[in-house]
Amino acid sequence: MASLLVSPAEQDYITRGVEKGIRCDGRSNLDRRQVTLRTDMISQANGSARCRTGDLGLGTDVLVGIKAEVNTWQPGESEDQGSIVCSVECSPSAAQEFEGRGAEDLNVELTQLLDRILNGPQSGIDLRNLCIIPKQAYWVIHIDALVLDVKGSIVDTLMWATRAALLSTKLPRVVVETISDENGDTQAEFDVVDDPEDVAPLEGAENLPITVTFNQIGKRYVLDASEQEEAITQAKLTVAVSPQREICAVQKGGVLRGFPPSLVSEIMQTAQRVSQEELRQFDVLYAAARAEAERGGAEASTGSTFLNQF
Amino acid sequence: MATNIQDRKRINGPTRSVEPISTAEPVEPFASGRLDGRALDQVRPIFMKTGSLDSQASAQAAPSGSAYYEQGKIRISCAVYGPRQGRKSNAKMGIFSCDFKYTPFSCSWRKSHIKSSDEKEISLILEQAVAPAIRLELYPKACVDAFITVIESDGKAATIAAAINCISAALVDAGIELYDSVAATSMALNGTQWISDCTQIEEDSTSCSLLVARMPSADEVAYILQHGKTKIEQTEEGFQACVNACTKVYAVMCRYLQGSM
Repeated sequence: MASLLVSPAEQDYITRGVEKGIRCDGRSNLDRRQVTLRTDMISQANGSARCRTGDLGLGTDVLVGIKAEVNTWQPGESEDQGSIVCSVECSPSAAQEFEGRGAEDLNVELTQLLDRILNGPQSGIDLRNLCIIPKQAYWVIHIDALVLDVKGSIVDTLMWATRAALLSTKLPRVVVETISDENGDTQAEFDVVDDPEDVAPLEGAENLPITVTFNQIGKRYVLDASEQEEAITQAKLTVAVSPQREICAVQKGGVLRGFPPSLVSEIMQTAQRVSQEELRQFDVLYAAARAEAERGGAEASTGSTFLNQF
Repeated sequence: MATNIQDRKRINGPTRSVEPISTAEPVEPFASGRLDGRALDQVRPIFMKTGSLDSQASAQAAPSGSAYYEQGKIRISCAVYGPRQGRKSNAKMGIFSCDFKYTPFSCSWRKSHIKSSDEKEISLILEQAVAPAIRLELYPKACVDAFITVIESDGKAATIAAAINCISAALVDAGIELYDSVAATSMALNGTQWISDCTQIEEDSTSCSLLVARMPSADEVAYILQHGKTKIEQTEEGFQACVNACTKVYAVMCRYLQGSM
């Protein structure tokens, strides 16, 4: 964060290291720190996940809860689509400057980035599947993320947690019936099935993109910047890539410098390659998290497991 | 109880509203060329004027620099104040901040007076896009504020690009030290074809939009934003097209700014 002070000597040391491909914590430029992923942590939510990048108790920590709601259609809204609503909040527990309105800018930036990646055909989720009855009712998927700790690379951790939460999301089944009244007019009505066992996963969640954020330090760039590296970074580029290797969103951050155009092209190519490795790593971690959640069953949401591993 | 009393002096509208049935044919913007007859890579004509908000009567209240910018139907006004006393007294570098506002009548639907999250985000985008060009290290403990008012908008990405160009011109007018001026353009992807500087109608029928801000003399990309899905080759192609278009916009800006000195 901006409050972290890095001396010129330290800055020089980190920059030269990055240009040679060695980082302070022993990683290479394109390595990610250890990632811990847990799903189904919140029993009240339709889906939830928590992701930490970095060492135990020292990493960036994001908790995402998904709530699905049925909304009544209003004139002016698209007729046959549901919607996804994102909201990211940085907790003052993460950093002192988030107190009060201090996190407002960051909240807006992260919320809009998430919205840009998820709310539309680029997310891989077909919003038409979220429609229950056209011009009557549709599902709204609320994605609420809480950033509990910040130690660099907040966007990627947020996206890992969101992807895991959406993959673990279960929507209740909806029964649509057509009723005709005495005039012979037919009308569709729906019922949300109350049975917690009678649920279906969110269609298309496996097509969700993943983000890779590169921070430019000196003449080179690093993936998953630590807190120190982020403090001296000149510019950063976030690229969202789908499992089909398509680019779903690109956004530059950082106010100090711009990129040379050749570096932008190079980063895009690297992003495409690195994201596929990251997706494989994600799948492994997600499968393990699912297995853990199923083994834990009802205990998964109790306090002790919530704190464990984080 | 007050809610039950009917206001007899006014004609109250019906409580239920029904969507009007539109009889207009749906417009297909790219069926035969573009609606306004432009080439696919053509940017709408640009008009700009610096010092538009200089008031002769009260020099004290006038902003340090200002600019008015038109690009097709887009009309933007920008005022720059500063360098002036910053909020943080110990900052080693100056702070550049933007305040972006749509007027309520600037879009096809009415915008609220209250600042929306959309406007907050565009403010951030503008800060990140323009700040790399400003020599902020020369203004310790100070801040430079830009206030952008969109009088009329036509296409979201194109409006943001126009706002970046407008701020650049206003910064020059204010005499703020810059490395280079930032020129921005937007593109949208229709099928496999990139289309430059889309209007709202065109933007609604495209799948992906790309915004690039560039400092041509320094050869740096100050900002890049893509919304929507593409193949990587398409992104590269669109990026190159934007970079080229930025150079053309930059030439227009420079010619005007040199002439206005």
